[in-house]
Amino acid sequence: MKRRWLLALAAAPLAFLLLPAAPASAHPLGNFSVNQYTGLTLHPDRIDATAVVDFAEIPTLQQKAEPSCADLALSVAVGGKPLQWTLTSSDFALVDGSGGLKTSRLTCALTAPVRLETATVTVENTYAPDRIGWREMTARGEGVRVESSLPAESISDELRTYPADPLSSAPDVRSATLRVTPGDGTAGAALSRPSDGFLAGITAGVERRFQDLAGGRLTPTVGLLAVLLALLLGAGHAALPGHGKTVLAAYAAAQRRRIRDALAVGATVTLTHTGGVLVVGLLLATSSTLAGDRVLSYLGIVSGAIVIAVGVGMFVRRRKGHSHDHDHSHGHDHAHDHDHGHGHHHHHHHRGDGRLGLAGIGIAGGLVPSPSAIVVLLAAIGLGRTAFGVVLVLAYGVGMAATLTAVGLALVAAQRRLGRLPKLPAAAQRLSKLAPAGTATLVMVVGAGVAARAAAGVF
Amino acid sequence: MRRTAVVAGIAAALGATALAAVLAPAGTPPTTAPAVAAAAPADPIARAQERVRLVPGDWRAWAVLAVAYVERGRATGDPTNYPRADEAVRRSLAVRPTGNGEVLVAQGALANARHEFAAARRFALEATKLNGYDADAYAVLADAETQLGNVAAATAAVQRQLDLRPGLSAYARASYDLELRGKVTEAADLMRQALEAAVSPADIGFCRVQLGDLAWHAGDLAEATRQYDTGLAADPGSIALRRGKARADWAAGRREAALAGYADITRRAPTPSYVLEYAELLRAAGQDAEADAQLELAVAGHRLFTAAGGVDGLTGTALALAAGDPVTALKEARAEWSRRTHADVADNLAWALHHAGRDAEALRYARAAVDSGAKSAAYVYHLGVIELGLGRTGAAEADLAAALRLNPYFSPTDAPLARTLLAGPEVTR
Repeated sequence: MKRRWLLALAAAPLAFLLLPAAPASAHPLGNFSVNQYTGLTLHPDRIDATAVVDFAEIPTLQQKAEPSCADLALSVAVGGKPLQWTLTSSDFALVDGSGGLKTSRLTCALTAPVRLETATVTVENTYAPDRIGWREMTARGEGVRVESSLPAESISDELRTYPADPLSSAPDVRSATLRVTPGDGTAGAALSRPSDGFLAGITAGVERRFQDLAGGRLTPTVGLLAVLLALLLGAGHAALPGHGKTVLAAYAAAQRRRIRDALAVGATVTLTHTGGVLVVGLLLATSSTLAGDRVLSYLGIVSGAIVIAVGVGMFVRRRKGHSHDHDHSHGHDHAHDHDHGHGHHHHHHHRGDGRLGLAGIGIAGGLVPSPSAIVVLLAAIGLGRTAFGVVLVLAYGVGMAATLTAVGLALVAAQRRLGRLPKLPAAAQRLSKLAPAGTATLVMVVGAGVAARAAAGVF
Repeated sequence: MRRTAVVAGIAAALGATALAAVLAPAGTPPTTAPAVAAAAPADPIARAQERVRLVPGDWRAWAVLAVAYVERGRATGDPTNYPRADEAVRRSLAVRPTGNGEVLVAQGALANARHEFAAARRFALEATKLNGYDADAYAVLADAETQLGNVAAATAAVQRQLDLRPGLSAYARASYDLELRGKVTEAADLMRQALEAAVSPADIGFCRVQLGDLAWHAGDLAEATRQYDTGLAADPGSIALRRGKARADWAAGRREAALAGYADITRRAPTPSYVLEYAELLRAAGQDAEADAQLELAVAGHRLFTAAGGVDGLTGTALALAAGDPVTALKEARAEWSRRTHADVADNLAWALHHAGRDAEALRYARAAVDSGAKSAAYVYHLGVIELGLGRTGAAEADLAAALRLNPYFSPTDAPLARTLLAGPEVTR
C-alpha cells in the first residue's frame, strides 16, 4: 500500500506534463455527446450485457427525467429470435463536469437466458440514435467461442478514459453479428495476423528504425546509415518467407546456368521494384482516394500472371525442343556456349525465349512493391525529401536484388559442380531430363499461388 | 532534384495509365487486413488520420486533419473538435515549423471557427505571402475580413479565390459577399451556380440552406420552404436545413411542427444559438416555463464555450438580453464591437444600447448596420424602434413598415411587435 503511494507520487509530475494545454477540462467527447458502451459476455446458457451511457454536460442538463435502464434500446437476437432482457442491477450517478455543470452516468447490467452452442447472434443498439457521441461494443465468450468484428476489451475502460489523441476517432458501432461455436474464448478484431516468425520480427524492428531515420534530421552519417539500412532491409525482404519469387528467380537463372543470367534477374528486379515503388508511391502521395492494399493486390495478380506465363513458356519450349534440349545442355558445360555453331537457328530462338522468361521472372519478382519501401517513400515525400526517398527505394531494390542474385549464383555454382561430375547414374540422368518439365510445372503452380493470394485480397 | 521530379513524373504518367485500367472497377471495399492503407474512407477525418498514421512526418496531412476537425466542429457545432484541431496543428508545426503554408491555413480556419477573426486574418495573410496561389488561404482571408467588417478587403479576397479556384467554396463566399452588399438576386444566381457544382449530399444541402435563407430574408416563404424541403431530400441529416424548415413552419402557422422541429434540432446540436431560438419560439407559443428551461440551457452552453476559450459576443449579448440583463448585454456588445465591425455587430450594439436606454447613441450604430447595404428586416426593425424611442415617429413608421415589407416573418416575437407598434398610439400619435 505504502509502495503504491510512492509510485503515485512519482507519477504525479509526469501526469502533469501529459495534461493537455486546454484551459478547461471539457468532456473529452464534446459537451453535447451522449456516449454509449455495450459489453456482451456470452455463456453456454445465457448472454450477459453491461450497458453504460455517459451523458456530457448539455445532455445531462437536457434530461427531463432521470434516465433509467428501461429507456435503453439494446436488442439481441439468437438465430433471428429476439431475446428478453432481465435487469440485474442499475445505477445512475451525477458527476462533476466543466463550467460548474454535471455530467451523468447510467450503468445497467442485463441478462437473458438462452442455450448457445452453434448460433448466430445479432445485436443492435438504437438508443439516442440522433445524438453525437462514442458508441462502443465489445463481445467475449466464456464457455463458448465467439467470432465477430467486435473487440473483447473496451478501449475506453467502459467510458471512463477516452483516448484524447487526434488520431483516434470516436467509434460508432451500432450493431454487430456474432458467430458462436462450441469452445472457449474470443476471436475478435483484436486477433493479430499470424506471425511470420523470428526474421519478420527483426525486420519489423529495423523498418521502424528506418522510418525514423528517413524522418529525422538529415546529416551525412544519418543519410549513409539510412542507405545501408535500406540495402539490408531489401535483402531481408527478399529472404522473407512467402516470397516465392526468390525460388523462382533462382530456378530461372539456374536453368541457364550462367552468372550473367543471375545478374540480369537481379538487375531486372531492382529496376522493376524501384519503378513500381515510385509509381505506386507517387500515385498514393498525390491521390487520397486510392487504396494502397488494392493497388498492391492488383499488382500481385499481374505478377502471378507473368510467372504463370513464364512457366507455360518453359513448358511449351520443353515440348517443342525436346531433342534439341539434350544437345543444348551439353553445350552448356562450357561457359562460352554462344560460340557453338551447331543447331544455330534453333538455338537462337531458344535463347530469345529464355531471355524473355528471365525478364518475366525479374519483373514478376519486382512488380509488387514492398509496403515498407512505399511507406519510406511516402514519408520522404511528406517531409519534402523526395530525392532522398528515391535513393532509399533504389537501395532497397538493390538489396533485394542482391539476395536474389546470391541465391541464383549459388544454384548456378551448385549445378555446375553437379554437371562436372564424371558420369551420372542412369536414373539420375533420366531425372535430370525430366527436370525441366517439372520445373516448368512448379513455376506455373507457384505463379497461380501468387495470383490467387493477391486475388483473395480484392474479391 | 528537378531531374528526379521529371523522371518520377514520367514514370508516374506511364504507370498511371496502366493502373487506371486496373483500378477502374474499384467498387467493393477489401475485406482483408490493410497492407499499406485501407480503402480510403469517406470521412475526411478518418482519411487524414490514416494518412498521418502511415506517415507521421507528413505535415501537410496533419494540417488537413486539423482543417477536417475544424469543419466537423463547424458542422456539428461541437467545440471540442477544436482542441483536437489544435493538437494536429501542433504536430504539423513540430515537423515543419517554418514555411508551412498548409498549417497557416489550418490555423486561420481554426481561428475563424473560434471567432478570433483578427488572428485568422494574420494567419491567412502570412499563408498568402508564402504561396500567392493558395485558394484556401484566400478563403480563410475572405471569411476573416468579412467578419471583421473590412468589406473591400473581403471582396478582394473572394475575387482572388474565385480566380484561383472557382468552385463551391468560392461561389458560396462570393454569394455571401454579394448578399452583404444587398445584391440579393446576384447572390442567389451565384448560389444556384454553386449548387450545379455540388456533388455530395452535404454540399447540396449547404447550397439549399443558402438559397433557402436568401429567399427567407427576402420574405419569400414559399420559395424558402421549397429550398429547405429539396435540400432535406438530399441531406436529411442537415441541422441547418432542419432549422430553416422549422423556422418556415412557424411562419406558415404550423406551430406544432415548428416546435417539434426545434426540439429535434436542439437534441442533435444543442448550440447556444439554436437553443436560444427555440426558447424564443416557446416564449412566443406561451410556454414560458419551457422557454426558461431552454434559456438556462443556452446560458450553460455558452458558459462551456467561453470556458473552452471561445469568444462570441453576439450570443453573449442575446443571452443577456433574453435574461433581462442590459448591463451585461451592453458590455458584451461593446467588447464585440471593439473586436470587429461587421454589420451584425453594429446592429447588435445598437440593440444593446437601446435596451440600456441609450437610444441617442444607438441610432448611429443602427444606421451603420442598415447603411451597410445588407437587406435585413431585423436591422431595419431595430432602427425603427430606436427612432421611435427618440420620438422620430415619421422615420420610425417608415422603417417599421419597411422591415415588415422586407420579411413579414423575420422574427417570431419582433414581427408581431412591429405590427402592434405600427397600429399603436406611439406611431399614430
